[in-house]
Amino acid sequence: MQGKTMISLLLASVILVFSGCSAADGNNTDVTGSKHEKEIFAMDTIMKLTAWGASGEQALEEAEAEIRRLDDLLSTGKSTSEVSAINRSGGSTQLSDEVRFLAERSLDIYEATDGAFDMTIYPIMKLWGFTGDDPACPSDDSIERTLALCGSDKVKLDNSGMVLSEGQSIDLGGIAKGYTGMRIADIFRKNGIGSGIVSLGGNVQCIGGNPSGKDFNCAVADPAAPHSSYLGFLKVNDEAVVTSGGYERYFEDDGVTYHHIMDPRTGRPAKSGLSSVTVVCRDGTTADGLSTACFVMGAEKSAELWRSGSYSFELVLFTDDGRLLVTEGLSERFSPDGDRGFEIIRKE
Amino acid sequence: MEKKRTAKGDILLIAGIAAAGIIIAAAVLLFSPHGSEVVVRVDGTEKHRLPLTVDTRMVINGRGGSNTLVISSGEAWIEDADCPDGLCIKTGRISRRGQSIICLPHRVTVEIDEGSGGNNHSSSADIDVVAG
Repeated sequence: MQGKTMISLLLASVILVFSGCSAADGNNTDVTGSKHEKEIFAMDTIMKLTAWGASGEQALEEAEAEIRRLDDLLSTGKSTSEVSAINRSGGSTQLSDEVRFLAERSLDIYEATDGAFDMTIYPIMKLWGFTGDDPACPSDDSIERTLALCGSDKVKLDNSGMVLSEGQSIDLGGIAKGYTGMRIADIFRKNGIGSGIVSLGGNVQCIGGNPSGKDFNCAVADPAAPHSSYLGFLKVNDEAVVTSGGYERYFEDDGVTYHHIMDPRTGRPAKSGLSSVTVVCRDGTTADGLSTACFVMGAEKSAELWRSGSYSFELVLFTDDGRLLVTEGLSERFSPDGDRGFEIIRKE
Repeated sequence: MEKKRTAKGDILLIAGIAAAGIIIAAAVLLFSPHGSEVVVRVDGTEKHRLPLTVDTRMVINGRGGSNTLVISSGEAWIEDADCPDGLCIKTGRISRRGQSIICLPHRVTVEIDEGSGGNNHSSSADIDVVAG
């Protein structure tokens, strides 16, 4: 009798302890509201949207519709898009507000970066085959000829519309994903989502912070192994984080690697000594354009642009020779992975 | 007298067992892997959710082709695929929450998720998102 009592007590205590554990686990996932996720293939990439909160599903549906709408409006690959129409006609007298806004922003970044970001680089991208499936090295001659047509300084944009110069075509893809991220953030907020995260092919926009109350932990990909290794981790809240690196798209020819980020001054893949640039900025559109521009400009000019205060942003730079450079504003929010060290870029 | 001593002994024993139970439970919570799961999606729709702790090999039928997923020793990777770029194979092995393998041509994604039994362990290994 005593033995039986003891055994049942023993069982009861063990069951109690374990049921206590699983109840605690259940609570952890529920306190902050339900998590809603969606994966969307658009703008030639994969987009992952996560929203926490009761109206998450509604927010995700509206976000998907917005992504499709913007893809249809801005894609150079869709003949029905407004951008394709502009490229066919060499301009437009009936610009939509959004295309005008994005073109103005592109021109603005073009000027601030001495042409390192250029929406008219599209013919060069086409020449290298980066707009299709089979990129290859063009001849020096064809590069020179095509490059002569490029240059945002030859584009006329005013109240009457946009006029491209002979042979020019534009691609707003350099800032389109950043802009899309911001539009999704607006949709999330409108739906009362205080915590969300959007990754548009590695182009990150976060809404608020982690539902646990902390900032989001955003890893920065290591160019040597972008999907499994990291340069470090950034604490971010209500910001965009955009990384540009030559590892995103490239091809090899005769043992040489050619990546897809073109230097508008040479018409060839940028060789600035940087293998990756990450921009942290409240404004996703700016972050997107600046990450490309800084990759083209190199560490020194990027630091100069940061110091100039033309834009409010922070940087994580990784050089070809393995140095990790972080601007002052991130020094408290960045932790390098493993035993990597990093240098701080100061305002001086 | 005799009876009383036995009762006291019982209580001590039960208390001891209960304490042991709590310690075991705490150890299970603290030292178990994160309960991570490998989530396979095709064209945005979840097709499989597999524990990272159970070794598996399976063929994922994506859009216009297939990818062979292997889970072994707490890591997941694509061993073989008939996509044109093979980037999913080049991605290598993933094991940390937030990491993913993407096959754009087949619209296949393989992601490490915290799993239904996820807990609150927070460390630099817990990644919300990857920029890059």
